[in-house]
Amino acid sequence: MSHVHLELKKVSKAVFRKVNNTRVRTQILGGLDLKVNKGELVTIMGASGSGKSTLLRLINRLSEIDSGIILLNSNDIRSLVPMELRRKIGMVFQVPVTFKGSVRDNLAFGMNLWGRNTGIENLSRDAGIPEELLDADAVQLSIGEKQRVCIARALANQPEVLLLDEPTSSLDAVSAQKIETLLLGLQKERDLTILWVTHEKEQVERIGGRSLILKNGRLEDYHA
Amino acid sequence: MLEVLALALTVFLVILSAAYAQRFGIGKEILLAGTRALVQILILASIILILFDKPLFWSLLVLMTMAAIAGHTTYSRSGKLERGLPVTIVSIAAASFLLLIPFFLMGIFPLEARYIVPTGSILIGNAMNVSSLAIDRYKGEIKNRRSEVEAYLALGAKPELAAASCLKQGILSALIPSIDNMKNLGIVWIPGVMTGMLLGGADPIEAASIQIAIFTSIFVAGMIASSLVLHYSTDSFFTKAAQLKEDLD
Repeated sequence: MSHVHLELKKVSKAVFRKVNNTRVRTQILGGLDLKVNKGELVTIMGASGSGKSTLLRLINRLSEIDSGIILLNSNDIRSLVPMELRRKIGMVFQVPVTFKGSVRDNLAFGMNLWGRNTGIENLSRDAGIPEELLDADAVQLSIGEKQRVCIARALANQPEVLLLDEPTSSLDAVSAQKIETLLLGLQKERDLTILWVTHEKEQVERIGGRSLILKNGRLEDYHA
Repeated sequence: MLEVLALALTVFLVILSAAYAQRFGIGKEILLAGTRALVQILILASIILILFDKPLFWSLLVLMTMAAIAGHTTYSRSGKLERGLPVTIVSIAAASFLLLIPFFLMGIFPLEARYIVPTGSILIGNAMNVSSLAIDRYKGEIKNRRSEVEAYLALGAKPELAAASCLKQGILSALIPSIDNMKNLGIVWIPGVMTGMLLGGADPIEAASIQIAIFTSIFVAGMIASSLVLHYSTDSFFTKAAQLKEDLD
């Protein structure tokens, strides 16, 4: 029996955008509701600027909601220490950013931070990172390789929820499909709750799960 | 007589350079800066003259005022960061006084206004320059490397850790001119204190020894002040919920 893992109630958020050197307030999300069950895969589509990335940033508190509430396991995320919340809710960004140092250093970052040894070799194997790449300079990798490192780095924290902000948009078709396969495999294997933001209809069809579309600041069933 | 000639030479050079620079549109600015420098240095000389007859407390008060003005300058350079003013004043004052004390404790200089004010002002001025460069660069690094800082935060890193490599770059960039100066000391240039002492008839070895002691103190004061300023400024870039602020301008 699956339970509601993540819930958003009446979430609103406005952002300030610079237009002709003037800060203009734009309402991005308005009274958004969402319930995600444990281990569920939810894809979120939407036009550019519709607030898809903002939504993910609110869930792991890189940005703050203006009103409403976000619950993780029925607890208001604001009641958790932000650092601990971010360990539980991992995020993979559209443009992969690797840290200075080797791939191994990158993967060990979260382990050192949280004092958990999840095994670099196992992690890299799960994320499809060849062993010979572990000691390579992480900054010099290809974008596809960097994205794998970022996924593995997020998984090293053993998150319950994984937020994916268009993780394949900067990759070629072949690399994108490899990352998709990798993420879907990891989701099943680790019973991860995943929110996957994408702008590609084809990708939504390929990866399955529950599909939503972000329109006028709210989520609607994509197939409806 | 000497002072009249020196001041006449200064006025002549300021007018000459302002007239020349007029073609680049900065003549007025040079004239104003030159006049300000001249007036300010004469006021300072008068203050030091007055301080000769006053208790040491007054010399320390003058240095505290200098540190406050220096702190405000660095604070303005930082884009007036939240809680930035007390941080910059205390950091610059603490680093400068810390490095000033050994000169008097060790008996290198007698405890007199003639030595306290100029030595202290050199330390304060340089700590201000290094701190201003450092905070400007630190802020720039955080703005330009926003995605990297947020990638650290998203993994659960605290703001200090997320901004650590930006902070390191800020301090390093600010210290590069001082490090280069130290490398080239005595080869490409003879610094001010030694020049002044030599012109005043001091023994070259004595002048060089005091110069190097002051030079290294300046370097260390700059390093400590900039480290303190950057360290205590980090919170200003983040919210209480460890979020990188949206607008860092």
